[in-house]
Amino acid sequence: MGKLRFLISIIIGKIVYLIGKPFGKSTNLPGIIMLKICPDALARFKMPEKVICVTGTNGKTGTSNLLTHIIKSSGKTVLNNSKGSNMATGLVSALVTDSTLSGKIKSDVAVLEVDERSSQYIYTRFTPDIILCTNLFRDSIMRNGHSEFIFDKINDYLSKDTVLVLNGNDGISGLLGENVCERVFFSVEKTERSTKECEDTVCDLIACPKCNHKLDFEYYHYNHIGVPKCANCGFALPESKFTATDVDFENGTFKVKGADGESLTLTFQKGNFFNVFNITGAVAVCRLLGISEEVIQSSTEDLSSKTGRFDQKNFGGVEIISMLSKNQNPISCSQSLKYLNSADGEKDVVLLITDSNDSVHGHEDISWLYDTDFSPLKNDNIKNIYIGGTRCFDTAACLEIKGIDTAKLKLFTDYGKLADELCKEASDDRKVVVYFELYATRVVKMIKDKMNSRGGEKE
Amino acid sequence: MKKFVIEILYPEFNNLFGDRGNAEYLKARLEKAGCETEIIETYLFNEPNFVNGQTDILLIGPCTEKSQLTELEELKKYSDIIKERIENGGVTLATGNAFELFGEYIENPKGEKTECLGFFPYYSKQFSKLRFNDNAVGEFDGMKITGFKNLLSHAYGENPYPFLKMLKGIGMNKETKIEGIHKNNFFATYHTGPLLPLNPDFTEYLVKLCDESVVLEELTFEKTAKEKRIKELLG
Repeated sequence: MGKLRFLISIIIGKIVYLIGKPFGKSTNLPGIIMLKICPDALARFKMPEKVICVTGTNGKTGTSNLLTHIIKSSGKTVLNNSKGSNMATGLVSALVTDSTLSGKIKSDVAVLEVDERSSQYIYTRFTPDIILCTNLFRDSIMRNGHSEFIFDKINDYLSKDTVLVLNGNDGISGLLGENVCERVFFSVEKTERSTKECEDTVCDLIACPKCNHKLDFEYYHYNHIGVPKCANCGFALPESKFTATDVDFENGTFKVKGADGESLTLTFQKGNFFNVFNITGAVAVCRLLGISEEVIQSSTEDLSSKTGRFDQKNFGGVEIISMLSKNQNPISCSQSLKYLNSADGEKDVVLLITDSNDSVHGHEDISWLYDTDFSPLKNDNIKNIYIGGTRCFDTAACLEIKGIDTAKLKLFTDYGKLADELCKEASDDRKVVVYFELYATRVVKMIKDKMNSRGGEKE
Repeated sequence: MKKFVIEILYPEFNNLFGDRGNAEYLKARLEKAGCETEIIETYLFNEPNFVNGQTDILLIGPCTEKSQLTELEELKKYSDIIKERIENGGVTLATGNAFELFGEYIENPKGEKTECLGFFPYYSKQFSKLRFNDNAVGEFDGMKITGFKNLLSHAYGENPYPFLKMLKGIGMNKETKIEGIHKNNFFATYHTGPLLPLNPDFTEYLVKLCDESVVLEELTFEKTAKEKRIKELLG
């Protein structure tokens, strides 16, 4: 009976996919409907020989895209859910597009990005061969609570038959699957930017996870990512099998050394240090899959120019740099803001970081602003700070408490007025750096369009 | 002018939801008023400053459900001193699940109970795996107080010293509009995060409890932010 339901759900899923596709409703809707018809659909697909899941707070999407790219370059066919959601419904939607009518996945390998909070509905349905966890941090308060809460959500559903690939610089996610799974660690060695003390506003791991005494760090990369060592009980993370060394920030290169003595020289997006972790994690997984060093080396080379969340272009004579800052995620926002410390020249900064759909989503919990490091806004070369959105007064209040010059702040609850004022005051010898949360993408587009037509008027 | 000492208890755990904002805001406003301000951070296994020293305002923030139990073990050593502090009018603000520490017990979803400090007769029960979020407005001493909640538990039982009467959002559980504890100068509430910058008037009230003579000047935006929030939440 269950099998029949599953087969029916596949046919319907495929039809919904075909109908939904022209309307952009194909990445989640087939899964929603299929799971209604066959709640255990995820358990019934005949999965490919290798199934890799990628989870964690930051870097899931980048890492799964990279993995997909390398594995494809090795000559295998890969199914992924990069176009859809990373929850059960998104996974089912991705699987049905690649499945035969009997539910067999055609691709050789599946690379699936998995939302941390969905672990329960995914790992209990099928057992991934490998789970790569990029890291665990505090994230959106309303959805995620705190990192220990998310840790349990993953840890409670791990199978002993899964190999975990873990960040050996993360004392939170590095404890996943302890005494349950085979675990392979990757890490990044000390760089010229490593610090002895944590210089970020938040550190999610101050006390030892084993004995609760204050933890020592040999060094920090950023936030709680580094090398924790407990002087009281001796806690430390296991040795890494894959280590990134010789990180060259100037040229955007680094090496990955494997335990077997192999060494790869790779490139990363300049200014995006997280990329080093993502690539190293992906390399670890690929080596475990038996993909050769040569394939990894050559396939990552053609990716290094991809920009992702960073975009810089000229609009109507003004350079606009836009950077995505995940809403309610103080780590993502703080790290993006750090760019202001290294960027030369005068600039205006636009903050569209609070929920631009506040009225629809319900009043935003703005507590995360106080966990965000706004100190890069103190730089003298910043002329104006435009703050947009319903919660602009909350953002401004937080900035003032954190010592940002209030004379530079310009507040707009109306995005249109912000764009008008910004374009009126903009000058071609000043860059505009826009930080935006996902839903404010439309505002960024509006600013760019208005800036473009401003250039037109000038000419 | 008086020197203010603000003590943050166990910042390595009690810093989940922007709680550092409370101490930062107090410091910013006190210093604007010309008061020297010191922030003391007390880590677990160390003797809190309030035990023997001057702590004008003691802040205890929310922590994870696991660390809560670790902290309780430690705090029980100072139970008498904390009780004395409450009786003597020491200004204390406990936010988020720190509110639970002062009740009778915490019960986890398995039904296991952990004894708390037992100063007040309420108890708390953790629920399944979905956290509870709320944006709320309550009333205290003619002031409207706004805050956020992110919880895995509610509190039940008697509450002889309520802090807030909720105008929007739930009280200490879904069936009541009564929220938090206010006894002498001790305040405990389930609301988390930067409660003080969200409520500049309540901040002034707390400072006045420490020293009548201090006149705090407002900063630029927080009052407008609060008025806007209350207008939106109360409609």
